[in-house]
Amino acid sequence: MTTAHGASVHIQNCGKTFADGTQALAPASLDIVSGETLVLLGPSGCGKTTMLRIIAGLETPDAGGRVLFDSTDMTAVPIEQRHVGMVFQSYALFPNMTVADNIGYGLKIRGVPKAERAARIAEMVALTNIGGLENRRIDQLSGGQRQRVALARAVAVRPRVLLLDEPLTALDASLRDRLRCELNRLLRELGITAIYVTHDQAEAMELGDRIVVMRKGAIAQIGTPREVYFAPQNRFVAEFVGAANIVEGPVASGRLTLSGGWLALDGAGDQPKAVAMIRPETIGIVTEGDAFWRGTVDSVSFIGDRQRIVVSGAADKPLTVDASNRINVRAGERVGLSVEPDAVRVLPGEA
Amino acid sequence: MSSKPVIIAQITDLHIKAPGELAYGKVDTAQALARCIAELNAFEPRPDLVVISGDLVDTPTSEEYEHLWRLLSPLTIPFVAVPGNHDSREMMRAAFADRAYAHSSGALDQARPLGPLDIVALDSHVTGKPHGLLEPATLAWLDATLTSSSTRPALVFLHHPPFRTGIEHMDVQDLFNADELADIIRRHPRVRLVAAGHVHRATLTTFAGTAATICPAPNHAVDLDLGALRVPSFRVEPPAFHLHVWFPGDDGGRLVTHHVPIGDFDGPHPFFGSDGKLL
Repeated sequence: MTTAHGASVHIQNCGKTFADGTQALAPASLDIVSGETLVLLGPSGCGKTTMLRIIAGLETPDAGGRVLFDSTDMTAVPIEQRHVGMVFQSYALFPNMTVADNIGYGLKIRGVPKAERAARIAEMVALTNIGGLENRRIDQLSGGQRQRVALARAVAVRPRVLLLDEPLTALDASLRDRLRCELNRLLRELGITAIYVTHDQAEAMELGDRIVVMRKGAIAQIGTPREVYFAPQNRFVAEFVGAANIVEGPVASGRLTLSGGWLALDGAGDQPKAVAMIRPETIGIVTEGDAFWRGTVDSVSFIGDRQRIVVSGAADKPLTVDASNRINVRAGERVGLSVEPDAVRVLPGEA
Repeated sequence: MSSKPVIIAQITDLHIKAPGELAYGKVDTAQALARCIAELNAFEPRPDLVVISGDLVDTPTSEEYEHLWRLLSPLTIPFVAVPGNHDSREMMRAAFADRAYAHSSGALDQARPLGPLDIVALDSHVTGKPHGLLEPATLAWLDATLTSSSTRPALVFLHHPPFRTGIEHMDVQDLFNADELADIIRRHPRVRLVAAGHVHRATLTTFAGTAATICPAPNHAVDLDLGALRVPSFRVEPPAFHLHVWFPGDDGGRLVTHHVPIGDFDGPHPFFGSDGKLL
């Protein structure tokens, strides 16, 4: 299949202040590489949708902000001339038109000849896994099928940038998981520049080449899913992306001292009150006698693929441990804990 | 700031049918729109924006929107469109997907800066009803949008007139919450015009302390019956559109609306001969 890599996107100093003085977005800059999938992740009100709307041309940035596609300044270019594809929670499809006609609509009104149109529709149908539905009307489709058609329609015209705003949020959980996986494959195959807004960190992890974590109108961290997960730059990112134990204690001579013992760290300077993050799956349960760090099991929840164990007395607050589903511990039992030094992330500037 | 005038052409009530069909069995609305677009494209100086204030299609169907798209494609001027009572929000969103809609679902409200002006287009469509209503989300958005400046002049467009015209069968299906719109407009004196469609006739009045107009249609006109004397009817009167021209100036600027008949009229003929004397 042909791949349209799309434009690189450069956001320079784009902020958005509303009339009442509230700042939806503090001036931010961001470069998105051609073909990259960039996810804007954060809770509601973090500014992610405002950022997307500025890129689309749905919103004008405050004075001084610029949006470039490749090297062309698009700041004053209206949305319909930016050649962006958009997929939202709501579908924007003709309810009584067939799937094929909906996908081909944008091509038809742009005067793409019939044969070429048919070929492109077939390509999009295959790509979005909706073979066999071509002649169904939209109002005969399920929500998941409709969203596939909306996606097919958006990419059929080969937009320079594909913008997706919580496209899976309205779907039920199992369908969401399946579509997320398909969307991931599709974005890789297309190699299109895509900007994806979500509040769901699992979606962000799976889909993003890079993730921009946002909070209160500002960028909290930009990084690959691994960087954001393993090396959060602050407590907000640590807690928003995945589960995290946030513990506090003094660091001296490469050791973090907690109420239940001490942990070795990878190259951290001394500080009287450090804040550190430990992911639940990086903590091991060992026999008490072998450990320098200990606690008491509060509760054990068997989840199937793992057990979620809450341990108290090990740190300033109860610790969550995701342990193998094979080990056998009970509430009230004293246990030892182990963690690799590189799994303990001292959060800069949080103390 | 440039002193060049800003020209906004308003066209309205296009009522496009499927190809080959006539509105009410009589009016070739497609041909009427084609003539209107040819005139807009030929107009000099070139208008900066076209606002289409509702009733883009007639029934509505996706075929009509597709026909509309083909008819609009020769237009060389950017346009903004809001639905009227004959439209479908869902189909309009599908037909014009890449538009600066203020909300990602529901009403198709749009705002657009145009040089020194703010163009605000409101969706007064009520599904399945001929009358108009601005939803709470639209009213809140309008208030917030107008609050974003106190100095930039703003022109507000919507399909349903927020005032009576005296044509009774149209007045019973005008904007039902005109009072709520008036409250907001009064709070924002930067609004210099409230421009509607729906009635297929040119009218002029004031509303909430500002100028208010209805734009005529490029096809047929609603019969000017101010006494409920006849059954609701239309006449094929000279088709027309409006040109709203903003003249920036130190005095705060001025808006002038021109009524422009569509057609191949004799002229222009010079007033003066080569000797400079009146002919």
